[in-house]
Amino acid sequence: MNRDRLLLYLYLAGILAATLVHDPVWLGAGLVLVLLLAGSDAWRLLRRALLAILAFNAIISLSYALMAWWQELSPWLTLARLNLRVLLLTSLSFLFIARANLFRALDFSKGLTYVLGLAYSQALAFRRAHEDFRMALASRSLRRPSLMDRYRASAAAASWFLEKSLHAATQSAQALRSRGFFHD
Amino acid sequence: MHIPDGFISPQTYLPAYALAAGLWAYAAHRVKKRLDADTLPFLAAYTALSFVLMMVALPLPGGATAHAAGIGLLAVCFGGWMAFLAISLVLAMQALLFGDGGITALPINALAMGGVGAFCALAAWKLLARLHENLALFLAGWLSIVLPAALVAVVLGLQPAIARDADGAPLFFPFGLSVTLPAVILPHLLVGIAEGVLTVLGYRYLTRLRSRLDA
Repeated sequence: MNRDRLLLYLYLAGILAATLVHDPVWLGAGLVLVLLLAGSDAWRLLRRALLAILAFNAIISLSYALMAWWQELSPWLTLARLNLRVLLLTSLSFLFIARANLFRALDFSKGLTYVLGLAYSQALAFRRAHEDFRMALASRSLRRPSLMDRYRASAAAASWFLEKSLHAATQSAQALRSRGFFHD
Repeated sequence: MHIPDGFISPQTYLPAYALAAGLWAYAAHRVKKRLDADTLPFLAAYTALSFVLMMVALPLPGGATAHAAGIGLLAVCFGGWMAFLAISLVLAMQALLFGDGGITALPINALAMGGVGAFCALAAWKLLARLHENLALFLAGWLSIVLPAALVAVVLGLQPAIARDADGAPLFFPFGLSVTLPAVILPHLLVGIAEGVLTVLGYRYLTRLRSRLDA
């Protein structure tokens, strides 16, 4: 078994453990362990995880605190448990992404590795293009763009992505055929 | 609509993984029959397309934005199983490569968006396309958003009943169905309209583009 597949199994076991434990002290200890494993990247990892969960957890936590106050219940245990668990799971995922190569972990299947690799590379290119479209609209607008302008910009971006996908698929198909991918 | 990590109990996500794994295996088997130099790149390309469509903001009146998913479009153009695999791959990529979404929520999101969403969209398209093509496409897009949202709302809303401690406090998502159903479904009724429009326009555009490429 290669190192990356072992890391994948350990990550999945860690995820399962974090959802089977309900004591905030143990969840906190799990978070400390993940940060220790992250080493010098610990603060960056924690900051990234906090930013990723901030919006959703803030809404859920505030709503639950209000509901508990209304029903004269103590919300602290539930809030501590919920937020520590989400933070632990998110930090663990970010640590796994930083340390493991998913493509090597899944290399037992040629087809899966191929589809994932191709989809990932195209997704990265599309993500960069999406950011370019967003910045292009922002840089060409003196004021906040109107609803119609934003519709046009979204439609232009979507049609570009549709066209690009078709071309990418056609090119990949030709490349696969010419290299005899399905006849090895 | 998709759920982040930490809000779903193992009593929910483990059976969901078992169900999703069976469907992934079956879908792969179905698609594999057609898997050749044409279908494999298309699966990858439309996975990437669905990934980026989830990033494209659809402006809503009032300054809010919604995000498309392309589920209806994928289902109508490439069939239910291909759409199910592509959406599942997108969710797996988001969770395991981009750190967005959740690994515990992955099977529920995949079953809701890729399963219920794609197959209901396909059913709407197949049933209504002969009567009115644009209406069928619009409904396919609308249903592909609203029905998965309803399923996600039910799964979330059941968590306090499924997993609670000895004092009755929730262990995972803390709100019941009376909160989750309106909170999740109502905004998605509006988002579904944007997705419906995207499905109509996307299908028309793709059909034109494919005929141009084939020519």
